[in-house]
Amino acid sequence: MDPTTTEILVLGAGPGGYTAAFYAADKGKKVTLVEQNPRLGGVCMNVGCIPSKALLHATAILREGKESSHRGIDFGPARVEVEKLRNWKESIVEKLGQGIKSLAQHRQVEVVHGRGHFEDSRTLRVETTAGQKFIRYEKAIIAAGSKPAMPHAFDLGNKRVMTSTEALDLPDVPQDLLIVGGGYIGMELGTVYAALGSNVVVLEALPSILTGVDADLVRPVSRVAQKAFKEIRLNTKVLKMATAGKQIKVTTEVNKQQRDELYDRVLVSVGRVPNLADLGLENTKVTKDDKGFIQCNAQLQTEDPNIYAVGDATGGTLLAHRAFRQGKIAVETILGDASAFENVVIPAVVFTDPEVAWCGLTETEAEQKSIEVQVAKFPWGASGRALTFDRPDGLTKLVIEPETERILGVGIVGVGAGELIGEGVLAVEMGATVRDLADSVHPHPTLSETLMEAAESFYGTATHTLSRRSS
Amino acid sequence: MDVKLPQLAEGVESGTVVSILVAEGQEVKKDQPFMELETQKAVGSIPAPSAGVVTKVHVKQGMEVSVGQVLISIDAAPAASTGGATAPPRASKPAAQPATAQPQPSSSATTTSAGATDYRYESKSGVAPPAPPSIRKIAADLGIDLTRVKGSEAGGRINLGDLRDYVQRLQQIALQRAPGAEQPSGQAHQTPASSESVDFSKWGPVHREKMSPLRRTVSRRMVESWTTIPKINQFADADISNLLALRKKNAPGYEKQGVHLTLTAFLLVVLGRTLKKHPRANSSLDESTMEIVYKNYCHIGVAVDTEGGLIVPILRDVDRKNLAQLSQELHAITERTRQRKISIEELQGGTFTISNQGSIGGSHFTPIIYAPQVAILGVGQGQPKPVAIDGKIGVRTILPLCLAYDHRVLDGADAVRFLKDVISGLENFSEADLQLK
Repeated sequence: MDPTTTEILVLGAGPGGYTAAFYAADKGKKVTLVEQNPRLGGVCMNVGCIPSKALLHATAILREGKESSHRGIDFGPARVEVEKLRNWKESIVEKLGQGIKSLAQHRQVEVVHGRGHFEDSRTLRVETTAGQKFIRYEKAIIAAGSKPAMPHAFDLGNKRVMTSTEALDLPDVPQDLLIVGGGYIGMELGTVYAALGSNVVVLEALPSILTGVDADLVRPVSRVAQKAFKEIRLNTKVLKMATAGKQIKVTTEVNKQQRDELYDRVLVSVGRVPNLADLGLENTKVTKDDKGFIQCNAQLQTEDPNIYAVGDATGGTLLAHRAFRQGKIAVETILGDASAFENVVIPAVVFTDPEVAWCGLTETEAEQKSIEVQVAKFPWGASGRALTFDRPDGLTKLVIEPETERILGVGIVGVGAGELIGEGVLAVEMGATVRDLADSVHPHPTLSETLMEAAESFYGTATHTLSRRSS
Repeated sequence: MDVKLPQLAEGVESGTVVSILVAEGQEVKKDQPFMELETQKAVGSIPAPSAGVVTKVHVKQGMEVSVGQVLISIDAAPAASTGGATAPPRASKPAAQPATAQPQPSSSATTTSAGATDYRYESKSGVAPPAPPSIRKIAADLGIDLTRVKGSEAGGRINLGDLRDYVQRLQQIALQRAPGAEQPSGQAHQTPASSESVDFSKWGPVHREKMSPLRRTVSRRMVESWTTIPKINQFADADISNLLALRKKNAPGYEKQGVHLTLTAFLLVVLGRTLKKHPRANSSLDESTMEIVYKNYCHIGVAVDTEGGLIVPILRDVDRKNLAQLSQELHAITERTRQRKISIEELQGGTFTISNQGSIGGSHFTPIIYAPQVAILGVGQGQPKPVAIDGKIGVRTILPLCLAYDHRVLDGADAVRFLKDVISGLENFSEADLQLK
């Protein structure tokens, strides 16, 4: 069969892939986008960011309703229709998927559905429903993404042992739900299921949930989760899982003591692995690192001169907005522009209750790298707006280069932290100083004032706290 | 893959593109030189880290490039033509091939007008210089390393004005360098326009030879020094009869130790002391800050005539070494220079220069100062001359000396005092200084 030809082939239609494909098409290239799933959008849109946020929003009202009674507004017990909730979530995903599809059509990006397999450095074979198709390209961008890791020992072939993908499909509301792994996925989905009524137990092997995040930003999340969840068990390992009738028997170990428990469902959220098996990378010069992710340079070039890679497949922090940027940089490099994924501030948001968000340098990282910094903090207990939300459990902090007073990083925990961090990103990217932030008037009463007041506290002049210059 | 400028030598962060030896679309072999680069010290070629086709040349002749900057892009040739030549396209880690350095004669630690571009951003936090994304994009497009741009805003933030100022400074520098650097092919725009139109073959057969990079650099540096430094030549004579007698007397003892005593070694001893007494002659002028930079070290360059041209290796800490040490070092470094085995580092950091033509037979001559040094001593051949001694004519060996100095830093009186001390040092050279340990 004669191969079809294209200028740029993009493998995977998630955030990194569709961004690269659309951008290349906008720049006048002939683009072919290969996606194995019927719906475009990748993990983020189908089984990641979007559905999880839809469920978090929908269930937030259950939490807030309960909290409301002491303020004199009582809704009585809520009634949850799981199927309706699932359909609503599904409608959002479907709408966005259609949106991507139509954006591709308007740009004349050819979309091919099927599994891709590299035959050599210039040819991809696609297994479509209509048989094999060979595509010969000038440059390829691998945006194959990642999937939840499922350790072999937990893979019982039992539907009750879920990854985030199945959990987001909301099969039911289990009475007893065990979440293995207290990272952001486990904590976010735990928040959803706890609100829906499950008794959620989170097991974490390390001494803290949300490992890697600054301890003072994690604390408010821990406090809320400890109340909303049945239990958060740290320093705990799962030794074994076994099917026990309609339940799962889980053997855990804490302080060398073993314990057997029964759960209706188990969510395994212990990390993610790249989707690189069976891609035929061995037929190219593409190389992988010791964790199995594709190795590439700041221009997103792999060891194969014709192949680039973006997004989760390249490792690092697995975030959609990182893939968006990388997709553009890969295309710019192909077009010959001086472009590099260097010195880019990638913010992170954990959509727990309350949310945690940070960007740039964190205190933890500064400590690890022995970078001398000063930290200015503003506790939300002193924010009028936070009190009107009945949520004083927040903190805004700035990580500062002492000599220049340049803002190197921003960390926020509290309701709506995800929406607030954008200003932090701008400050860090612009090389703003603490003075810049302190002297920018912020609207009152809003949570955004906490950024300004944190800056003022650096100078010991925050209006609403008796702050000292903290370090 | 993008080929970036590798680290060439300790402290050498940038250079000027002398010539580009490849064109876009051209195929290159691994290790084939694709560019000649002149650093502060030397002209050298940069080899291609891998085989392939040059897809883009990112730099131009005369452009200043810094370590890490993308020079050319190479697309590894299709498998058929390259065979086993694997091209690691990790642009962030180009094979760090040191430029094969051809030393050239300048002891200058910095180029004359580089004061404005010497700035380097340093952050204890290890972060990139503060600049908004819009400015970073412009800098990337222009191939400018923002760590060299001084930000004027709070916290050292770089704005468009700072970037513009920096680019303008680079242009000025490029213009100053233009006579040599922009026409390295030898199509001599460096001479006035009239000379280029002269057809010498009208009057007889001629042949043309391209100037070597070393020759071109010599030429450019000399023009630069000649046109930028207001210099004065101060002549003097030293009676070295006693010194020669001392040498004759002590030479056998030295020869036994394998040390050959030369007049230059004596000069080094005397200059080491004299420069300590006259630190201004050992200084440099920083034009960007209008400061005189006094150096608490005394590294003297000695001009060496080689087959490839003039090269000036540096002897370190001359003021702290005795005659025997200096004689040995001088002999060793001169030999290595003639064999072209000298490293870039050994040509850097000079504070004063001696040009001794005595062994060939020169008389008084006016040497050219090696910027940014402020003085150079030209030494001719010692000759027996009739001189008046206490009212009677006697024959003495007279050494012709000429101190050329930068009048912006040194005045005539300074020069006379300096030379008087040099002469006195030579004429009254103490036998105690000749004692072998």
